[in-house]
Amino acid sequence: MTTTEITNTLRGRLGTSLLSTSEPVAGKLYLEVEAKALADAARCLQDDLKGRFLISAATDRRATNGAFAVTHFFSLDPDKLFVSLTARVPEGSAVVPSITPAVPAANWAEREIQDMLGVKTEGHPDPRRLVVADDWPEGLYPLRKDVPYDIKPPAQAGVEMKFKPAPAGTSTLVVGPFYPVLEEPAQLRLYVEGERVVDCDYRGFYSHRGIEKLGDSVLTYNEIPFVAERICGICGFIHSTCYCEAAEEAAGVEVPRRARYIRLLMLEIERIHSHLLWLGIAGHIIGFDTVLMQSWRIREPIMWLCEQITGNRKTYGMNLVGGVRRDIPADLHPKILEVIRKIETETLAVADAIAGDTPLRLRIQGVGRISEAEARRLCVVGPVARGSNVGIDARVDHPYAAYDELPPKVAVHDSSDIFARLMVRVEETFDSIRLVREALQQMPEGPIMAEMKEAIPAGREGLRSIEAPRGEAIHYLLSGPDNRPERWRVRAPTYANLQAIPTMIKDETIADVPIILGSIDPCFSCTERVETVDLKTGEERSITRRQLEELSRNRRP
Amino acid sequence: MAQTIEIIGLAIVNLVVLVGLAPLADGLLRKLRATLHSRKGPPITQPYIDLLKLLGKEDLTPQGTVGFGAGVWAVAPILGLGAIMVAALFVPLAGAPPLNFAGDVIALLYLLALATVAITLGGFASGNPYAYIGASREVMMLLTAEPVMAIALVAIAVKAHTLTFAGMIASQGAVGFSVSGVIATIAFLLALQANVGKLPFDIPEAETEIMGGPFIERSGPGLALFRLAAQAKTLIFGFLLVTVFLPWPTHLGLPLATLLNFVKVAVVLVLVEIANVANPRLRIDQAMVFYSRIVVFVAVVALVFAALGA
Amino acid sequence: MIISKLKEAWICIKAGRVTLPYPFKPRVPEEGFRGRVTVEAERCLGCAGCANVCTPRAIVVSDPSQELRVLDFFLERCTYCARCAEVCPEKAITVTKEFETSTNNTQDLHLRVEVFMGTCQRCGRCFEPATPLDKMMVTGFRDGDGASQPLPQG
Repeated sequence: MTTTEITNTLRGRLGTSLLSTSEPVAGKLYLEVEAKALADAARCLQDDLKGRFLISAATDRRATNGAFAVTHFFSLDPDKLFVSLTARVPEGSAVVPSITPAVPAANWAEREIQDMLGVKTEGHPDPRRLVVADDWPEGLYPLRKDVPYDIKPPAQAGVEMKFKPAPAGTSTLVVGPFYPVLEEPAQLRLYVEGERVVDCDYRGFYSHRGIEKLGDSVLTYNEIPFVAERICGICGFIHSTCYCEAAEEAAGVEVPRRARYIRLLMLEIERIHSHLLWLGIAGHIIGFDTVLMQSWRIREPIMWLCEQITGNRKTYGMNLVGGVRRDIPADLHPKILEVIRKIETETLAVADAIAGDTPLRLRIQGVGRISEAEARRLCVVGPVARGSNVGIDARVDHPYAAYDELPPKVAVHDSSDIFARLMVRVEETFDSIRLVREALQQMPEGPIMAEMKEAIPAGREGLRSIEAPRGEAIHYLLSGPDNRPERWRVRAPTYANLQAIPTMIKDETIADVPIILGSIDPCFSCTERVETVDLKTGEERSITRRQLEELSRNRRP
Repeated sequence: MAQTIEIIGLAIVNLVVLVGLAPLADGLLRKLRATLHSRKGPPITQPYIDLLKLLGKEDLTPQGTVGFGAGVWAVAPILGLGAIMVAALFVPLAGAPPLNFAGDVIALLYLLALATVAITLGGFASGNPYAYIGASREVMMLLTAEPVMAIALVAIAVKAHTLTFAGMIASQGAVGFSVSGVIATIAFLLALQANVGKLPFDIPEAETEIMGGPFIERSGPGLALFRLAAQAKTLIFGFLLVTVFLPWPTHLGLPLATLLNFVKVAVVLVLVEIANVANPRLRIDQAMVFYSRIVVFVAVVALVFAALGA
Repeated sequence: MIISKLKEAWICIKAGRVTLPYPFKPRVPEEGFRGRVTVEAERCLGCAGCANVCTPRAIVVSDPSQELRVLDFFLERCTYCARCAEVCPEKAITVTKEFETSTNNTQDLHLRVEVFMGTCQRCGRCFEPATPLDKMMVTGFRDGDGASQPLPQG
C-alpha cells in the first residue's frame, strides 16, 4: 500500500478531520488529525489498514503553538511504513478521546500521557496512575516544560496504592517488589485460587529514572547516546543506535557505510550475549543453575571481546550522532572470528544437550501460551511475537544500520509457548553469528563519522525502530530550538510485552509465573525510563524498622 | 550398666557422625556442585560458618503470629531438629543402630515424618502466603514420596521377617542379591531425591518461585536448626540406603564395615548431587504424578516380590 | 533423557574451573579500555571543551577572577565515556586503564586544574553574545545544586 492509498482511506473515513499529511522522508507518514477524530483514525489504521500500534508520545508545545501535541505511532510492517497520528489540544481543554477501546495495546501509553503531561484520555478503561507513584502530588505533570527536571515534591500523605480488587474466592499473592526472580523491582499481584492464577494486577515503574525529561531539559544531542545506552542493563547499544539513527534522520545526515556496518556488527554481538544471558536466567528461574553457570561461562569471552573493541563490557560508548567513535581495526578481525567460533561450538553443544532434556521440556512446553490472535491484538514484539507465529522483525520491516545489505533470517515458531521463544532465541543466536561473520567479510572501507557542521534546526522529527534482543525498541526525536531536543520518546520492547503478561499467566500455576515472566526476557529498567525525578525520593522519609519489616513481608490478604 | 554405657557411646557416635558431620558432607557436596558449575565454590567448612553466623543473628517472629501460633513458631525448629536427632539414633552406621527395639522401621518413619511436619507447622505458623504455599507443597511431597520409602523398607522387612534394622541388615547380608531387594533399592533411590529435598524435587523450598517456602520468615537460630536438620536428613537417608539395602560385603569387623559404609554413602551422595546439579525443578503436580503413579508402583512391585519370597 | 544429561555433564566437566584469581592476582584490561581519566595540567588551555561534552557533569568550570579559570573534575560522577579525552585539543586528558577507583574519601577522586588566562587589555574578558561557556556558568552541574540555582560567581 502506498502512502497515497493510506491517506485516501483515512480521508474517506475522517473527512475534514484529517488536517494535514507530511512525508519528510521515505517510510514515514505523519498525519495531523482533529482531536475528536483520534479514536476513529486509530481504529481505521489498526483494523482497516492492518497497522500495528507502537507507542504514543505527548509533547508540551505550548511555547511553540500554544497546545499539547498527542501523537500515536503505528507501523504498517508489510509496507515498511510508519504512520503517526497527531492531535493538538490547547491547555484549557487538554482532553483527547482514548484510543484504547479500539487499540488495546495503547493502554499503558495513554496512561503515561495522563501522568506525564496531564492530557486526559477520555474513555480509558483503566485510568489509574502508571508511571508516577500513587502518592505523587496532584496537578504536577513532570514532562511539562514548566516543571524543572530536578524537582523533589513531598509525597501526599495517606494515599494507598490502588490495585484492582481481587475477584471473589481468590487470595492475593504479591510478587515483588522484592522478589528473587526479578533483577529489578516490580509488583505483580496475583489473584490465585489454590495454585491457579485467576487474574493479576501490575504496578511497576519503581526504577523510573526520568531519562526522557533529562533529554528534554539538560542534555545535548551528543550526550543523549551515552544516557541512552544506560537505559538498559544489557541491551545498551540498541538504544544508543536507535537514538542516533533517529537524530540522524532528523538532521538529514547520511551515516557513512562503514559506520553502518560497525553498528550492525556490534548490534549482533550484543544480541548473541543477550540471548545467552537470557538462557542462563531462564535456567536459573526453573532451578537449573547449571545452565546459568555454563551459558554465562560461554558468554564471558564476548564480554571481554567487547571490552577490547569498545573499551567497556557493556556501555560501548561507540555511537555519536553521525557515526561511530571507534573503528574496528583489521587486526581485531581474527580475534572476533575466533571468539565467535568458540561461542558457536559451545552454544551448539549446549543446545544439543538440552534438546533432549525431559524435565526441562516438562517445565517449558505448553506453558505461558499466548495465541497468535492475542499476540497481534496486544501488539507484542520480539521473540514473544515470533514464537506465536507473528513474524515481525524491525531489521527486515524497517531496515536500519546495514541490514538493508545484510538481511537477517527471521526465526518464527508457532507453538506459542515458552519453548517456542527459546527456539526463536537459539536460532537468532546462530543467525547473529552468521551476520557477524558476513559483516566482517563485507565491511567497506571509508570514514566512520559524518561531519555535522550545523546545528539541527528546530521542528525536525526522527523516528526509528530497532530490533533489540527483547523485541522492537523505538526512539522518537523532535528537535527543538537552541540545538537541543524538544522531545525524546523511548519505547522499550518490554513495555509492550509486559502488557501481555496477564493473558499469559491466566490459568497457569504460581510455580510457572516466574518462568513466564522470564520468558519475555523482561528488562524493567528499559521499560521504565521515562520522566522526571527519582520516584524513590517521594519515599525518602525514614522508615522505622517495624515498617520496613512490614513492607518486606507479604501481608496476609 | 556396661550395655547402657555402650549404647550411650554408640548414640554419641551416631549423633557426631550423622548430625555433627552433616555440614561437612554438605560442604563437600557444595564443592562438587561448584566444580560442575565450572567455579571454585565456597570452602568445605562453609556450612559450619553459615550455621555459626546464623546462631548469632536475631530470631525474628513474624508480626502475624500470636498466642498458639507464636508457640508453634518457636517450637517448630526445635521439634524438627529434635526429631532428626532422635531419628539419627535409629539409623545403623554399620551393623545395628544404637537404639533398637522391635519396631525400628516404624519408629524411624514416624520420626522422619515428624521432622517434615515440624517444617510444615512452622510454615503455617508464619502467616506468610509464600510459606503457606511452601508448607502445603511440603505436605504433598510427604504424602507422595514418604510412602515410597516406607514401602521399600517394608519390602526388605518382609523378606527378613523382622522390623528391626539389625535383623534386616543381617538378612540382606545373608540373602545377597534378590529381585525384591534390587527393585526396593531402586525405589528407595528414586524417593531419595525428594526426601532430601534436592532438585528436581526441591519444590517446597523453591528459591526462585516462592522465595524459600516454609523458611521464608525464618532467621537466626531457627533457620540454623532447620538447615542442620536438612543436612542431617541427607546423611541419614544416605546411610539408610547403604546399610539396609546394600550391606555387602558382610563379615567385616565393625570399624572396617563402618568405613566401607562411609565410602558407599559418599558414592550415593555424589550421585544425588549430580542429579541435583543436572536437573531443573519440576512442578508439584508433575512431581506428584511421578511419585504417586510411577515410583510407588515400583515400590509395590518390590513388596509383592518380597511377599512371594523372591 | 539420560543421553542429554550425560552430554550436559560432559560440557560441565570439559570446561573445568574458570574462576579467575582476581582480586588476589591483578587483572589488567586490554588496550583501549576506558578507565579513570588523568589530566596533565600543564597542557590545559582552559577551553572547557571537556566540560561541554561531559554528560554526567563531572567537570565544573568556574572563573574565580578575571585571570583564573578553575576546572574541577569530580570523578566520582564520571561514567568513563572518554569524550573529554576525545575532544581535548591539547590531549591534556588521558584515559588510563585503572578501574579500581572505589574509595572512602571522595577527595581522592577530585582533580583540580587552575589555569591562568590571558585577559582583554581594556576590561578583562568580555564577549558580546553569550558564549556556550557562559551558558554553562549559569547552570550549576554539581550534585545537590540543582539546575534551579546558579553557581556562585566570583
